[in-house]
Amino acid sequence: MSYNSNSVNISVEAPIENQIQEITYDGTEIYQPPLTLSESLAKFAQKIDFSKSNELDIKKDTDEAFEDNKSDSDSKDAFQSSLWPWDSVRSKLRSALQEVCVLADVLAIAKEKRYLVLDPVQQEAVETKPMVQIYARKKALAGAANVLLTGAERLKTSQNEILRNRQTPDFHIELLRLRQNWRLKKVSNSIIGDLSYRTAGSKFFQSGMFEVTKAEEEEKTSSPPSSPAPGIAQVSKSNSSLRVTVPSELQGVAYIEVLCQKDQEDLCSVNLNLLGSGPPTANPEVHWQQKLEAAQNVLFCKELFNQLAKEAVQLQAPIPHMVVGNQIMATVLPGIQLVIGLCHSATADKKNQQTAPAPSKSDHDHVLEHSLHQLLREVHHKNTHHPFPHPSSAPLGPSKKRYLAGPMAADRHELLEMTHTETLLEQIIKQAQHFFMRMRTEYVLDTIAKEVKDPLISSHWNTLNSPTQSCVKINISTHGYDAVCRTPLVIHVGEKSLKCICRDGKVMHMSYEPQELRDLIFCHINQHQILAVQALAKTMGWQFLGNSNHLGLGSVEPLGNASSCLLGSPNGDRVIAVRCEPQSGVQVSVAHSPRTDFFPSRLVTERKWEHLGGQFRDVRLEKMEGRNFLHKMELLMASLTSNS
Amino acid sequence: MTSPGSAVDSLSAAIKCNIIPNQEYLLQGSVLDQYVEVLLHRLRGLCDNVDSGPESFNDHELCFTLRGNTPNSSMVLPLRVRRALDVPDAPWQLRYVGQHELGDKNRPTAVRSSIDMACSSTIVEFLTELGCRVDFEYIARGYMFRKGRMKITVSKIFKMGSMASKPNESVEPISQSYLVELSVLAPSGQDAIAEDMRIFAEQLKPLVQLEKIDYKRLAHIQ
Repeated sequence: MSYNSNSVNISVEAPIENQIQEITYDGTEIYQPPLTLSESLAKFAQKIDFSKSNELDIKKDTDEAFEDNKSDSDSKDAFQSSLWPWDSVRSKLRSALQEVCVLADVLAIAKEKRYLVLDPVQQEAVETKPMVQIYARKKALAGAANVLLTGAERLKTSQNEILRNRQTPDFHIELLRLRQNWRLKKVSNSIIGDLSYRTAGSKFFQSGMFEVTKAEEEEKTSSPPSSPAPGIAQVSKSNSSLRVTVPSELQGVAYIEVLCQKDQEDLCSVNLNLLGSGPPTANPEVHWQQKLEAAQNVLFCKELFNQLAKEAVQLQAPIPHMVVGNQIMATVLPGIQLVIGLCHSATADKKNQQTAPAPSKSDHDHVLEHSLHQLLREVHHKNTHHPFPHPSSAPLGPSKKRYLAGPMAADRHELLEMTHTETLLEQIIKQAQHFFMRMRTEYVLDTIAKEVKDPLISSHWNTLNSPTQSCVKINISTHGYDAVCRTPLVIHVGEKSLKCICRDGKVMHMSYEPQELRDLIFCHINQHQILAVQALAKTMGWQFLGNSNHLGLGSVEPLGNASSCLLGSPNGDRVIAVRCEPQSGVQVSVAHSPRTDFFPSRLVTERKWEHLGGQFRDVRLEKMEGRNFLHKMELLMASLTSNS
Repeated sequence: MTSPGSAVDSLSAAIKCNIIPNQEYLLQGSVLDQYVEVLLHRLRGLCDNVDSGPESFNDHELCFTLRGNTPNSSMVLPLRVRRALDVPDAPWQLRYVGQHELGDKNRPTAVRSSIDMACSSTIVEFLTELGCRVDFEYIARGYMFRKGRMKITVSKIFKMGSMASKPNESVEPISQSYLVELSVLAPSGQDAIAEDMRIFAEQLKPLVQLEKIDYKRLAHIQ
């Protein structure tokens, strides 16, 4: 080989490029350390396929032997091969034996660790092409995704198909909805629910168990051809896959009817009917939610009535309460009864109710019914909401009042009082009593305001009141003279009594009889007139000579006393006397003390005696001009003043 | 009116009939400060009417001991006086709590006799006059819940500061955890409630381990 002079020596060697073991996130490459000499030797040695060379040798051997045999005897060829059919097997076994022996020797030597050491040889990593792998994986994943997507699509369409066909939501979804609103539990194979108010504090004995079952499909499919008429019912029926079975005593509709009756005679003719046409409950296949709510309401009404009946029997009232069938009668005020009835119509006898012409008494008191519901709910609430004790180690049960009884040294009487709680019936009777008291007071005030025109009577009811107490403010004033005088009154309406706070701060207690209030108002009207005249006289410059609120003169009044006052004109020559009687009204008389003309008589000989005061003459007020009494009085006073 | 003699008779009759709740069934445990919120949340879910939020309390407890007259007598009567700092008009409470009865393994809760009564604030003077000595005092703040007859308190115990007259100030917590107690006060012999308590304690299990604590063993550990 010859080299040119200008040729450059190029040394070729493998780049010192180690295999990259890892690339960190910041891009630095971590190389594998290069192989040491012994390691590379081992690596190369590993590449030698010893078995291949062995096989070649053996092949050569056999070939040689074959040729020898051929040359030796051609005729025996077939024979020998048949003579040594196991020859190849024998040779293979022998070589195997040899290998095993060698292996055993090698192992024995290697065990000594003096001449031979066994080194682990690193397997060369199979060269992978990442991009190819990624493509392969991508393809495989895409294939799998396709399978899944088509499967999902098929499921969806089948689901839609089922939904379109059935029109009913899934049983389990329905059950889930039911579970969200009602208490359910699984008892062996059935689902049992509880609609009672026990968790809310009720202690009613009757349980509110109901059973949830799956509605049968066959029934629905079979019913449309048989009965095409009730198509609407069919629709409502088919939109639930749940069936709720409520015990028979809780089926139907119930409510508490509260009636207030005036006369004893009416009492017999009372019959309890469903109000109006009644809710449409004849359809047994209402939605389960409505069905359960109705059943719960039935249970609540039953508990309420049960409680009231129990109390009615136990309570010691002056006029005993009566419990007859599903009615409780209690006397609220003399001549007025409160009738509380439990109306429960099961679906079966609903038809009878509808056929009978229901002469429904529409004086059902919704307010009292509502307060009855409220009262029982309050009891429930109290049953569960006990106050927490303070300090925290104190016992849970007793009320704070009872806990304080020790340190406050409560006596037996106080302790007994603590145990007394007002029953529902007592409370509702009180509310009814108050209701009547309020109604009567309203009536009395309205009729008086209608009857009496002269002083105006206006009443303002307080908007804020409790079920057993309310308050009305009454203003007595004269039209056009409000600034001169007004008489305010406040009446507290209680349960069986009225309390009136008068203008002068006096407190009057009255019973439930409306006549008492009427009399009181009339007395105050009189008082108002007298006081207003006095106040008017002051503004007119007249003198106030004297008054008496309780005049002992004249005829005896059926109620109250007559009141009167005497007014003198500014220069004293005229006197007006006013007398007010609750019954007969106002009388006004006028006296001129020095008469303008004087005729001496045998008794009164001189003119000076005329100053002692003259005869009173009645003024016929009704003939006078003027809008009302005070206006007339003003005109009278004015005319008498100007005359002098 | 009944005479005093018959009142005593009726009291003893009441004790005989087992209608006086004088046994406290008790389970105790503790929870670390950082997990107490989780526990409160869980209790709000489990207990009765917590719609208005958990009821908090802030109590001050004084423990008195009354020792026997003779110097070598070992009889020690512990008495506890507790008052609510956050409810000033609430009465004070005097309480005697007996020894823990752990019972065997089958018994789910510890039982101790407990007699308590409400009293006025002069009880401290009264006890001091009797010869009782203040053993220790602490402040417990936390929340209480109820589930039926069970009362659950989650309270943090604070050491009283140097200013004994102002218990609201200068207090320091004793540990980094809350004391959780599940207790029922019942007449003796009502062991069914103990089973209810065990079931309730099971429901709080991963958060707090409510068990009957053996105080004697605790004394050995320290």
